[in-house]
Amino acid sequence: MTATRIEYHAPTTLAQAVALLGEHGPAAAPLAGGTDLVPALKYGVLRARHLVSLARIPGHRDIATTAEGGLSIGAFATLAAVARSPLVSAVCPALAEAAAQAGSPLLRNRGTLGGNVCLDTRCWYYNQTEAWRASRALCQKAGGEQCYVNQKQNVCVALFSADTPAALIAVGARATLAGPAGERIVPVEALYSGEGLRPLAKGEAEIVTDIAVPAPPARSGTAYLKHSQRESIDFPLLGAAAAVALSPGGTIASARIALTGARSAPCRLPELEAALAGGPVPAEGDRELARLATGSLGALFLTEAVPHKRRLAGLMAVDAVARAAAAAQGRRTP
Amino acid sequence: MKQLVQLSVNGQTHDLVVRPERTLLDVLREDLGLTGSKRGCDLGACGACAVLLDGRPVSSCLTLAVEASGREIVTVEGLARGGALHPVQEAFVEHGAVQCGFCTPGMLITVTALLDEHPEPGEAEILEALSGNLCRCTGYVKILDAVRAAIRRLHGAAPRLSQATTDRTGPAAPAATTRA
Repeated sequence: MTATRIEYHAPTTLAQAVALLGEHGPAAAPLAGGTDLVPALKYGVLRARHLVSLARIPGHRDIATTAEGGLSIGAFATLAAVARSPLVSAVCPALAEAAAQAGSPLLRNRGTLGGNVCLDTRCWYYNQTEAWRASRALCQKAGGEQCYVNQKQNVCVALFSADTPAALIAVGARATLAGPAGERIVPVEALYSGEGLRPLAKGEAEIVTDIAVPAPPARSGTAYLKHSQRESIDFPLLGAAAAVALSPGGTIASARIALTGARSAPCRLPELEAALAGGPVPAEGDRELARLATGSLGALFLTEAVPHKRRLAGLMAVDAVARAAAAAQGRRTP
Repeated sequence: MKQLVQLSVNGQTHDLVVRPERTLLDVLREDLGLTGSKRGCDLGACGACAVLLDGRPVSSCLTLAVEASGREIVTVEGLARGGALHPVQEAFVEHGAVQCGFCTPGMLITVTALLDEHPEPGEAEILEALSGNLCRCTGYVKILDAVRAAIRRLHGAAPRLSQATTDRTGPAAPAATTRA
């Protein structure tokens, strides 16, 4: 039972869904698998009163390879379907690994790729029961004035903690959005505002309908590493994804790295990417590169007690690169 | 506004009028009297409420009842046939894989779904399938014994040893780990 009354809408076309989201504005939310939305409604932190179900809209569930050798994935496909797809494992192993580690099997059977991409940010002070939150004034994200994590600047720093977007950003995936003005295609990276309060940069009435993964370049590999408190049913404290392409001589031609769990949006590591380009494949645990990556991160606001998180972020980024490079070389890593 | 829903539960169709705030678990337990599915965390983190939705195990506490309309639902009450326990249930009884019993319905649903999909799962697949079901009595060893027995019972085969992992005793390892 949710904490407040809701109105449920079950459109049968995308156009109807977009119209309903537009009509109810901030009072509406699209409902995909509901694995994150329903707990938020039970906690009473989500202010949406109109749920626009995507369940009865046909299509946007298939996973297929494109003529160029990339992937076309319907955003309504479940995380389980993405995780066990041989096509995804072949073209973008990092995405399969990230999807396979999101939540638990029960959650992955309901949760969708689009829902994971559009996951709300999380915080110790926000994702809590009404009784827990009643001990103090509501935090900013729950509708109050104060941020209890970033008290000095008083700006919400709730963390983005979805697994799959890091992998999608590392490989340069693009998202198709259906909205009032028709369709548009944007890099997955551009879906995020960087703000804890309202983490998505898309319009309220826009729905992510499809994800396109580009064809992997020659001699390339991908990897996703996740660090969490529990092995399953847990968000990452940190996730690191890397996509690496090697030159014919075996040096790194290009590397793209994305972290999740570090900020209010998944973030790239441009300094590390630049330092790696043209150089040799790093070993796992390379301290010099890890220090460089950590240094480029700046302040991380920690909504959880993980004091080593900045250092860990650097190390995980380098390890993800090393594993992606090993995959590019056709080596297996344990 | 209340909605008309048609729930097909354990082969029986129920026409109901429910508020959209209510989950499938609420309706199963309170309207249909099917209290086998348990309300544990009520937030999708424990697996005690697992039911089959079109053959796949899901958390009924996170599925709105209106979203389950027109789909096939199987609860733990639907596993036994004609008064005879399902082989997975028999194996749980014989191996004492039940301590307080609260997680058991979810475990049975998850294991049944696993064996329907993979008749001969390896150890890694068993652990993976059960990784969303928590037993706070920590009775995992006997639960896993029962699963292996159910596989033998159903298919006359033991788990493939090539996939065996020996250093784990349960699906939820407590220590923080970094994984590939």
